[in-house]
Amino acid sequence: MASVHDSLYFNPMMTNGVVHANVFGIKDWVTPYKISVLALLYDMTASKITLPERRRLNKLILPLQQGPDLTLGQFLKTVEECCPQTAYAVKLRLHEMADGELKDMEYFFSTLPTPFTAFDSEAYKTSVVGLFMRHMLLAYNKLSFSQVYKLYKSLQHYYHSHYAKPTDGELSLPALVSNDSDMDLTSTEDTVGDRIDREEVDAPLHESELRNDNTPSRGPLSQKQAEYFLARQAYLLKNDENKALKPAALQEELNNMLKFNPDFAEAHYLNYLNNMRVQDIFLSAHSLLHYFDRLILSGNEGKSNGDEGYGRSLRYAALNLASLHCRFGHYQQADLALQEAIRIAQESNDHVCLQHCLSWLYTLEQMKGSDSTVLTEDSVKMAAHFCLPYLASLGIQSLVQQGATQGKTAHKLMDALKDTDILHWKHSLSELIEISLAQTTSIWRMYGKSTMALQQAQLLLNMSSLEPVNFGVQQNNTEAFAVALCHLAELHAEQGRYSAVSEILQHLKEQFPPHSQHAKLWMLCDLKIQFERHMNEGKYHLAEPLVTAISALNKTEGLYRKAQVLKALNRSTEAYNILQRLQVHCEKTKCTEVVIRVMLSTAELHWESSGFSTALPLLLQALALARQHHLQSLASEAILHLAFTQLMLGVPEHALSVLHEAIEPVLAHGSVMDKGRALLLTARCQMAVAGFRPNGQGQADLHLAVLAVDTLNESAAYFSKLNCKERLRDVHYLQAQLHRSLGQTSQCNKSAMLFRLLDQELQSPAPPVSMRL
Amino acid sequence: MKMAALCSEFGDLVQIKKQLISVISLCKERGLLHSGKWASELAFALDRLPKDELPPSPPFTEEDAQDLDALTLAKSYFDLKEYDRSAYFLKGCCSRKAYFLYMYSRYLSGEKKKDDETVDSLGPLEKGQVRNEALRELRVELSKKHNVGELDGFTLYLYGVVLRKLDLLKEAVEVFVEAIHSLPLHWGAWLELSNLVTNIEMLKSLSLPDCWIKDFFMAHMYTELQMIKEALQKYQNLIEAGFSKSTYIISQIAVAYHNIRDIDQALSLFNELREQDPYRIDNMDTFSNLLYVKSMKPELSYLAHNLVEIDKYRVETCCVIGNYYSLRSQHEKAALYFQRALKLNPRCLGAWTLMGHEYMEMKNTSAAIQAYRHAIEVNKRDYRAWYGLGQTYEILKMPFYCLYYYRKAHQLRPNDSRMLVALGESYEKLSQQVEAKKCYWRAYSVGDVEKMALLKLAKLHEQLTESDDAAQCYMLYIQDIFSCGEQLEHAEVSTALRYLGQYYFKNKLYDEASLCAQRCCDYNDAREEGKALLRQISQVRDQTETPSADLFAPLSNNNTPVRRVSPLNLISFTP
Repeated sequence: MASVHDSLYFNPMMTNGVVHANVFGIKDWVTPYKISVLALLYDMTASKITLPERRRLNKLILPLQQGPDLTLGQFLKTVEECCPQTAYAVKLRLHEMADGELKDMEYFFSTLPTPFTAFDSEAYKTSVVGLFMRHMLLAYNKLSFSQVYKLYKSLQHYYHSHYAKPTDGELSLPALVSNDSDMDLTSTEDTVGDRIDREEVDAPLHESELRNDNTPSRGPLSQKQAEYFLARQAYLLKNDENKALKPAALQEELNNMLKFNPDFAEAHYLNYLNNMRVQDIFLSAHSLLHYFDRLILSGNEGKSNGDEGYGRSLRYAALNLASLHCRFGHYQQADLALQEAIRIAQESNDHVCLQHCLSWLYTLEQMKGSDSTVLTEDSVKMAAHFCLPYLASLGIQSLVQQGATQGKTAHKLMDALKDTDILHWKHSLSELIEISLAQTTSIWRMYGKSTMALQQAQLLLNMSSLEPVNFGVQQNNTEAFAVALCHLAELHAEQGRYSAVSEILQHLKEQFPPHSQHAKLWMLCDLKIQFERHMNEGKYHLAEPLVTAISALNKTEGLYRKAQVLKALNRSTEAYNILQRLQVHCEKTKCTEVVIRVMLSTAELHWESSGFSTALPLLLQALALARQHHLQSLASEAILHLAFTQLMLGVPEHALSVLHEAIEPVLAHGSVMDKGRALLLTARCQMAVAGFRPNGQGQADLHLAVLAVDTLNESAAYFSKLNCKERLRDVHYLQAQLHRSLGQTSQCNKSAMLFRLLDQELQSPAPPVSMRL
Repeated sequence: MKMAALCSEFGDLVQIKKQLISVISLCKERGLLHSGKWASELAFALDRLPKDELPPSPPFTEEDAQDLDALTLAKSYFDLKEYDRSAYFLKGCCSRKAYFLYMYSRYLSGEKKKDDETVDSLGPLEKGQVRNEALRELRVELSKKHNVGELDGFTLYLYGVVLRKLDLLKEAVEVFVEAIHSLPLHWGAWLELSNLVTNIEMLKSLSLPDCWIKDFFMAHMYTELQMIKEALQKYQNLIEAGFSKSTYIISQIAVAYHNIRDIDQALSLFNELREQDPYRIDNMDTFSNLLYVKSMKPELSYLAHNLVEIDKYRVETCCVIGNYYSLRSQHEKAALYFQRALKLNPRCLGAWTLMGHEYMEMKNTSAAIQAYRHAIEVNKRDYRAWYGLGQTYEILKMPFYCLYYYRKAHQLRPNDSRMLVALGESYEKLSQQVEAKKCYWRAYSVGDVEKMALLKLAKLHEQLTESDDAAQCYMLYIQDIFSCGEQLEHAEVSTALRYLGQYYFKNKLYDEASLCAQRCCDYNDAREEGKALLRQISQVRDQTETPSADLFAPLSNNNTPVRRVSPLNLISFTP
């Protein structure tokens, strides 16, 4: 049932059942903008210009010729900045054409210096300018009668829209109406009334009008403009999502573009990327498949260029589908798609594609949580063989990551990273450089070398972008940056610089808005910092609700935090159960860091039941594990725990000697909390060694006691930085005792008063000093 | 218009005829050719009215008289497709008829110019940006009149069309509904509305006038929304109500049967249609599809030649010829004719899909993908194009990739076994047996057209050594094959019998086993095995003489998906 209104649309560019967007193979079409450029070139050759101005203009030529179409305003402004005089001449020439008649434009084209005659000018046929002019002349001469007229019309529109400053897209309408009234002399009055009415009617309609054809004043996008738009948006999506158009706006633009030219395959790809942004699996899969369906056609054309034709895009289509499913966490689907890609690649002997598949394969294995070291190693070897530096170093980075978690020796890892860095700089793979720096930061952090981590993070953040095409992006918003910033925030939090932390987090929030891909990183980081802070300040009731949020982002971390809160709230049985479960789980998934922390927490639980001797084997095991994996901060932590246990078991001399081993790294790299705790423990050991009794009996070693006073003062400074009142109370208590035994009454009284104040403020009964580290 | 008042209850054929006659003249005066044609066809199917029963011509107002000359002149220009000229002479006329023609000429002039512009645009990307410049003005003027309620049924219809062209679909639906209310007999407005209704919920939410024409619309909508059963019921009611001679209804029923692949019914209806209306070209492409599916070469050839004689430059004709060549395996020529059809109307959905099929035959997969993609662009709900894309990728050995397309097709036709079987095959290739089993079973449940699902399911079970399930499926398969009566080329009854024989033998059900073995001997490829099995059975029987009890007792308690099986009597098989 064909409707009457089905347009009689006939597409002349259709050959062989397939619409070719570009049937003449010409990308250059004469547009009003191009005419302006021609006018500029013409004026440059015709008039006398001073040398510096000419130089500036010459510099301008290439970008103007190859860039996307500008509006007349933009164009004139750029020219004016170089040479006002020429800008005026160009404007005048355009004015002549636009306000004159069609013949003026025709005259302009006929007066252009033909590149074949002008031997001595810059417009000679082989020069850049000459080539451009030839293109334009050719394109102009090819235009049919009606096309010339249309070109002239659009030139007029182009010129006048610059001056008329259209408030809305209604410019053409009044013009048409006046035409009508000229034609129809009998009812002029009527039309005038009509016009007024129409404006009234227009006002409420305007909004809906805007929704539908919101770009009438912008004019058609040229091929180059569209390409530029797509390239820019794709780049921004990858590197700085905030600067790209909002998902909805971008979608609208793309829909617009696709409506005008459904064959523009790249737009589908951008559509896919955009849909990935908003986590829409249906639309993104749809766009991706559509893109490859379109690409297969163009791939076919590429056959003549020695390309393998559409078979090539088939494999990559399957590969991309795999990556899509991977992104959405559909590992089984991803696996199937990947297998398909691998099979096709194998059949057609495409090693490069196979290599890509392999690197995805190990990524997938990793994501599934199984060990993929062997696969990765193979992948690196093959990538090196086929000279694919990107894949090779990506593989190495992945290996380093795996190695780090498996406890490979540190120098080997660092060596590997250094080697890949050389590769990166050689091929200027800026993306990988960033990843590498972020990875180094993470590794140093894991090893507990906070200074080194800090330095690496700063290095990354201070590096300027190395991208060849830089769309005004100062700093890339990639995952690497997010990771580095998160580390930075945590490092600052460890040192108690919370204002700096909140600044960094604010920046992260701006750079990676909550809906974006990497937002989870800073969310978790933020929650962790808050949690730690509340725990340190003893506000357990505030820490508890955070646990749920953490669990949502990271289950393991959430469980661990939950156990910590429960422990702090003295619900030991529940905490113990969770810790046991967690340990089993983490040993299975090889999360060594968490395993060690779980062991330490379990040991702390044993203390609470005074099971100091049962805690010992656990602590030793934790220490061994930490040493094996070079996790220095955890090792020191384990030593602190060990020393405390020994102190409690009544061997303070041993405890002190063990402590000496740990105190140095803790003071160098540890967090403020750790420093305070370590010093407090040292003081207590010193007091115990000095033979100091709480009731002031016995012969205390005065020398050691003075030392203990110093240590306590230092630790008090650390605790007060963190506002950790409970521990401060302990410190003041010990200080008061020490001072009393040393006979320093005034200081003793002062400490006692501080203790009293804090005790009143805290209200909660002080736990026995002996029971915690 | 007064037509609104004429809505009488359904069944009064004389009244309907009168209404039709008056609406025909109204449409003709306004140059609405297709609506006029539809109404005329329907009126022709009803009994002739006696002379004095003929409806009086609409009253001739003073305004009409005033505009008479201008209108006559403009109408002749309009008929000659000189739209601007027509509009020029109609300007200032005040009668409603003249106003409609004035606006309509302006609209058509804009459309014509748009089409002409498309040919010589200034650049490839500008191509799509060519717009009907008249639309905005028309909309502004019409909306102004609409606000004060000055639009009649026809102008409302035009307003709706303008809105639709401007992609203001929501507003367009409202205006079309309004147009229908004011003039229910104008079929064009119904048709435009039908293009905008996307699902059954939307259809139910529309408030439509209670007129006999609504039944036609509902039937049409049901066909569009693939609710064939409801559509057929509606059409049946219409026929019973007295429209039995209407070619329109017959063709619609035939198309509906075609959609549910009831080929024989559809064929007989089309033959009837051709007898009644031998020079008809509409819907003949569907007819040729049916002939193609049935491989009726001589009939298709006759139809093609016949249509070429009538009008060779029609989309339908080209499609018929394309089908003809395709059936003769001359795929290049077939593709050529589909291309020609597309040149005549690029929005012709069927041709894109059919061309895709031809390219598939020629192993030109990339061109096939292109063609299918175009078909999808024209209509996203074209399941054949999705299915075709799936097949293309299957040929390219990408079973995972084609899953997406088959799924899409399945979504659009949830009860079509072909998509389900295709899905099942893909899953099988991906060794996702569980999903594959589900697909095959579902395909069987919705009524397997090609009778392949059960066989495949059985084989799958066989592979997975789920012998009970496999036996069940084979049994169902045999039952299915013999119950449908006709011989299918690819039937693998022998395979089924062979397996069943072995199965019973293993389960020591010798009577059944020997029965199956005997049946095996009827087939060439399984004869030897049947004999061997018979020998084995007799050997075993000699050793132990155990009578088997109830025939299918062990099977009927089985807790497999195949539960609804009734004990079948193998004796009744007539291979």
